[in-house]
Amino acid sequence: MKSNSPGRVLFINVVSLISFLILWHALVILARNDIFNIPFMRLRDVPTPIETWYALTGALFTQTHGPGLTYGIVDHTEASLLRVIQGGIVAFVVGVPVGIGVGYSKLIGNILNPIIEIIRNMPPMAWIPLAIFILVTGGSIFIVFIGMVFPIILNTIHGVKSTDPRLIDAAKTLGASGSKIVTMVVIPSALPSIIAGLRIGLGVGWMAIVAAEMVIRSPIGLGYFIWNMGDLGRYAEMVAGMIVIGVIGYIMNISILLLQKRFVKWVD
Amino acid sequence: MGRLVLHDVSKNFNGFLAVDRLNFEVANGEFVCLLGPSGCGKTTILRLVAGLDTPSAGEIFLDGKKITGVNKECGFVFQEYALFPWRTVRENIEFGPQAKGMPKDELGKISQRYIDLVGLRGFENHYPRDLSGGMKQRVGIARAYANNPKLLLMDEPFGALDAQTRNLMQGELLRIWENEHISALFVTHSVEEAVYLADRVIVMSARPGTVKEVFNISLPRPRVRTSPEANIFRDSILKSLGAEITRAAAIK
Repeated sequence: MKSNSPGRVLFINVVSLISFLILWHALVILARNDIFNIPFMRLRDVPTPIETWYALTGALFTQTHGPGLTYGIVDHTEASLLRVIQGGIVAFVVGVPVGIGVGYSKLIGNILNPIIEIIRNMPPMAWIPLAIFILVTGGSIFIVFIGMVFPIILNTIHGVKSTDPRLIDAAKTLGASGSKIVTMVVIPSALPSIIAGLRIGLGVGWMAIVAAEMVIRSPIGLGYFIWNMGDLGRYAEMVAGMIVIGVIGYIMNISILLLQKRFVKWVD
Repeated sequence: MGRLVLHDVSKNFNGFLAVDRLNFEVANGEFVCLLGPSGCGKTTILRLVAGLDTPSAGEIFLDGKKITGVNKECGFVFQEYALFPWRTVRENIEFGPQAKGMPKDELGKISQRYIDLVGLRGFENHYPRDLSGGMKQRVGIARAYANNPKLLLMDEPFGALDAQTRNLMQGELLRIWENEHISALFVTHSVEEAVYLADRVIVMSARPGTVKEVFNISLPRPRVRTSPEANIFRDSILKSLGAEITRAAAIK
């Protein structure tokens, strides 16, 4: 077998994942039996992979009731996803036109660049206190928006600026002017960058939503769920929630890559 | 229609004189080649005629109309093709008419006509990245023609092709040109190419570029590249050009 044939890659991936689970399991069991413990860590409180699995299936398929458990993990996931989608749509609708404007027009660039350069260096989490007291509702959606809009703006600017000037010349000689050059040349040329910005933005937005839900304490959402499970000492459910967050982030990334393949056929 | 007149045209780039008081004409339906040492401003001349750059002095007229701003009656064929990579062959050819707001069914008719003319039937839905250099330039030529120009401007369109494809494309270009008969201004490095294609060859001087000598290639088409008559033209053009190439090297 060649070292990068699909079968071998899959084999290595599976072995790697299983080894990780075994190591995880072994470390917890060794700590619980006082045989070995990593200094300064309380590994005995960590759930084993098997305990986590049961917590995950339990939270997925049953509707538990009790303090903080009015919802199953599916409901929490739904709530977080919905916020990311809402914040993401606003970020896309705002970010793409701003990016095109800044990238294409020197004047708009000079007006907006100082503002963008300052604000984009404030982490989304830094906005949480402000969001709590200026917004009546939708604070976490706003945090997602802040997290997503800058990657989208910056990648759109990059895409617009790297439009081949010869293509713009060609379009001009073919009779395209002003707005036609933007819609027929600049935007299609920038599309791969715009989608890349959306992909990076979704990653940031997904991180931001979990943090925002922890702090804002809306009674539903994955961030709230893992924070609450931690408070209650239900560490298996907490880790199960973390795994759901990781898996969903991964699926979002893959979906955008597929979207890119579908809509950007001309790039190798 | 398609008479081009350059009257005392100069172009300065930040104090660097690229073209100096240039005067020449392209008659209606004529095929003119611009030949000169590299850096003599050949590409600059095409860009001035296309209105992509503005002359620092002098005037350019197409059919008596002074060129100000981008000249939408010129078809520009670029050396590096400059095809839109996100558009298929058909969509590239339709770009000009589409930009002018032509309805969809007419677009299809126009692109089909030029796809057939340049021999790209069967490749309509390919993207540029899937085409060879020669095929890309066929798209470039079809795209320029589909816009119904009065004048074709070609900037070393076959410069990036291998020798055999280059010869083939020269023949193809003449076939297309005889079919549509639009005036053409063709920039090249190759004396052989100029003698094979042109009605008239304009030899440019070293920088700053100006007209040095004009040759009327009074040979009937189809021309034989290796005929004694063609060789005589090649010889005298090479002599005229050779002096300029030596001067250009000295300038550098």
